[in-house]
Amino acid sequence: MTRRKVLIANRGEIAVRVMRACRELGLGTVAVYSECDRTALHVRTADEAYLIGPGPAADSYLRIDRLIDVAVRSGASLVHPGYGFLAENEDFAQACLDAGLTFVGPSPDAITRMGHKTAARRVAIAAGVPVVPGTEEPFAEDLPDEALLAEAARIGYPLLVKAVAGGGGKGMRMVPTRADLLPAIRTARSEAGSAFGERAVYLERRLARARHIEIQLLGDHYGTVVPFVERECSIQRRHQKVVEESPSLALTDETRRAMAACAAAVARTVGYTNAGTIEFLLDEDGKFYFLEMNTRLQVEHPVTEVVTGIDLVHWQLRIAMGERLTIDPERALTPVAHAIECRIYAEDPDQGFMPSPGLVRALNVPGGPGVRDDRGVAPGFTIPLFYDSMIAKLIVWSDNRTDAIARLSRVLDEYRVIGVRTTLPFFRWLVAQPEFAAGQFDTTYLDSVLAARKGQAFVDATDGDADDAAVVAALAAWFRAHQASAGAPVTPTSGNWQRAARVEALR
Amino acid sequence: MTPQEHLAELERRAELGGGEERLRRQREGGKLTARERVDLLFDSGTFEELDKLVTHRCRDFGMEKDLVPGDGVVAGHGRVDGRPVYAFAQDFTVFGGSLSETNAAKIVKVMDLAMKMGAPVVGLNDSGGARIQEGVVSLAGYADIFLRNTLASGVVPQISAIMGPCAGGAVYSPAITDFNIMVEGTSYMFVTGPDVIKTVTHEDVTKEALGGAMAHNATSGVAHFAVPSDRECILLIRELLGYLPSNNLDDAPRVATADPVDREDAALDSLVPEQPNQPYDMHDLIHAVVDDGRFLEVHQYFAQNIICGFARLGTRSVGIVANQPKVLAGCLDIDASVKAARFVRFCDAFNIPLITFEDVPGFLPGVRQEHGGIIRAGAKLLYAYAEATVPKITVITRKAYGGAYCVMASKHIRTDFNFAYPMAEIAVMGPEGAVNILYRRELQHAEDPAAKRAELTREFREKLANPFVAASRGYVDAVIAPRLTRAKLIAALASCDNKRDKNPPRKHGNIPL
Repeated sequence: MTRRKVLIANRGEIAVRVMRACRELGLGTVAVYSECDRTALHVRTADEAYLIGPGPAADSYLRIDRLIDVAVRSGASLVHPGYGFLAENEDFAQACLDAGLTFVGPSPDAITRMGHKTAARRVAIAAGVPVVPGTEEPFAEDLPDEALLAEAARIGYPLLVKAVAGGGGKGMRMVPTRADLLPAIRTARSEAGSAFGERAVYLERRLARARHIEIQLLGDHYGTVVPFVERECSIQRRHQKVVEESPSLALTDETRRAMAACAAAVARTVGYTNAGTIEFLLDEDGKFYFLEMNTRLQVEHPVTEVVTGIDLVHWQLRIAMGERLTIDPERALTPVAHAIECRIYAEDPDQGFMPSPGLVRALNVPGGPGVRDDRGVAPGFTIPLFYDSMIAKLIVWSDNRTDAIARLSRVLDEYRVIGVRTTLPFFRWLVAQPEFAAGQFDTTYLDSVLAARKGQAFVDATDGDADDAAVVAALAAWFRAHQASAGAPVTPTSGNWQRAARVEALR
Repeated sequence: MTPQEHLAELERRAELGGGEERLRRQREGGKLTARERVDLLFDSGTFEELDKLVTHRCRDFGMEKDLVPGDGVVAGHGRVDGRPVYAFAQDFTVFGGSLSETNAAKIVKVMDLAMKMGAPVVGLNDSGGARIQEGVVSLAGYADIFLRNTLASGVVPQISAIMGPCAGGAVYSPAITDFNIMVEGTSYMFVTGPDVIKTVTHEDVTKEALGGAMAHNATSGVAHFAVPSDRECILLIRELLGYLPSNNLDDAPRVATADPVDREDAALDSLVPEQPNQPYDMHDLIHAVVDDGRFLEVHQYFAQNIICGFARLGTRSVGIVANQPKVLAGCLDIDASVKAARFVRFCDAFNIPLITFEDVPGFLPGVRQEHGGIIRAGAKLLYAYAEATVPKITVITRKAYGGAYCVMASKHIRTDFNFAYPMAEIAVMGPEGAVNILYRRELQHAEDPAAKRAELTREFREKLANPFVAASRGYVDAVIAPRLTRAKLIAALASCDNKRDKNPPRKHGNIPL
């Protein structure tokens, strides 16, 4: 029997991550790439790779037709969507099935039901899971302003306007008071329209000092659903997760089990299969509310893998190939370590986290005990402007949170990326903050401390740094002047001078 | 004093030159000392000095009491990028760097050795002139050097740097050598100085205006390079040597590059403007085509309507000659012809392949040009190209008109490969001029002369002002897309690696000087 192949319909670190799992399971790997990713790490990691179009994602990684075409041409039988791009696109999942391919993820139906936020809320309510107070249905576009204001008043301010198809903070607006409601709805609608192609929005109460806690789960095709120990993702910048850890300091074992049971109930209600994550908000009183479901593998899945020792991507593939889930539920809920993940981006933290794409000249990746570096970039690669600029996910773990933070601090100091600006200096600052060390934060923490810094630089060159730079410059100048001057010959001169004279002398 | 101590003392005195005070003044003038210059020229620690203990033989005017070991010139050999090079550096702190019998003998020795070993000679000039106390003996020294400069010409590369005064007869040694580099602000060259000129012609002129670096770089063409400091002067010599072979039998060093040989540059497709009269900078083409965009321009400030210089193509050193449409529309005039002729002959003498980029509307018209001898000057360039037996490759980027077409390395004068861009115009003259001559009568009698002229011009352009007529006759080997210039040149050049060609046996040709 020929080896089964998996097409990885993604790029960057997650494509590499999935390929590693494939290789461990003896599966072939097929990469796709856009023109600017020709030399990317995921292309080099794969057994075979196919060009699918120019740089912009809409012309390459989002082209369902081309991805299916590559799958058919390469003889792949499975398609792993990674996260982002088409990972939560029911049309893609359906197109895979229609082409006779196995989609490594939930059914198109589950994606549809859980991907739409108001629909997901209805599922949660049906499963008896508490949800954040809010509107049950998306608003009709022509709903009169009075009706909107009345609905808002029923839920109570402060509020959030959210896009039904949303994610990653896009199409989301805060509404502190009544006066802000109508403009917020307008901007959220237009943002959602351009980001997701769907303008529908709904309202949700904004919980004060809430933490973002999520439950990973796996479901097989035989009705088994296994929830995992929670992930704490409250360190967010503008609704984007920046640091994730597991377990959360804010959860008792009792709450953990209650939350896990709720998550499993939601998944069972829709007959969910493969990997998914249910996000909750945890309020100050320890009460939690269903927020939404992500019907895919999450960026932060490694922290769960580290604290449980279970390879989630292995299981994604095994479930997709029809295996039964045989994980001990107790093991999935019992963390054996404390893990923290930092998302290292090619962004300049001193310029408001502006993307800093460009050529990565050199990398020094930390090692030693308790370190995992999930990276999608190799030295010599030019990080393109077209996509998310993540360089790597750095995951560290230790017996307890205090030791894990100490390790994180050590590892961040070892990490070097030459050529582009990165968020490393920001993380070095963050791990030194007392609130972070004490675990005292909610989803607003990072934005408020960043605002309080008023743009103060994270990178502060000392006199010592200046001395180092001067020494390096002097050495470079010395080498240039003494060795590398223009025209250093690489081949010896031919010696014709002497040869010609010898011939002449014999005449 | 033991012999060892005696030697140490002599060496100490040699290294001190004209003494601390004079060395200090040399440095204060923004100049390096002779020894500092030599140290900078050679790879670290490779300089081997010769004749360090030589002293002069003058026994008049009290000179017998003033003996400095080395006698005002530091001479020897060393390595530049690993290759042997001979050099001498005049020491202005010792008798004003003046040339004595023994001082000249040291220079002659270095040149004779270089001629035996097949190594370049670098002269670092900083001298007040002849050692007057020695009389005709000093003059004999000059003549000895001039003879060797002449005999070495075309055998080993000779590079002169003017790093201080160089006046009177002394200028003829640099003048015979292949390249002159002048340091701005501290160097000057002239046969007769401002004082003599004042007396004879009553002209008032400063040393700088008469014979400074820019005077000779931009106006007279005596100097090929101007550099802001001694340091840059020496580094330029090192860079220049990197493009040259050690002698006329060896090949120039090849230098590895990461620049792909088949690198295409789409921007070149639109570099040459569609309007034939619109200028563009030929430097853009050169930089886009050569290895790593590195181009060492020779005579950068002189006759800027033609560009000459060194670069590498696929690791091979080449000499580039290119018309510059940005200056005088790229016309050939007296200065441009002489400049390019000397460069072409240098490259031919040292087996450096010649790459010609041609966009030339013709020779520059004018009474001054004709009376100044443009015929003689143009003939030099024609002669130089025609006699050259090195690999010759030409790219016609746009215009190749009239006699200038013949001159600029055309197929007919033994050019190995001739390429043209699709928009090239190869003809006896531009379409407008041609129509005015051919159809003078018709145009006079036409109802609407302007419209008639436009129509005839268009017709002429379609029929003759293109590369296809030349290509159909094989005068152009291939019409190429501009973006492929680099790949085509390197492929052609590589095929020339073993080229052999020769001129008939003769004592020497008679180039129209």
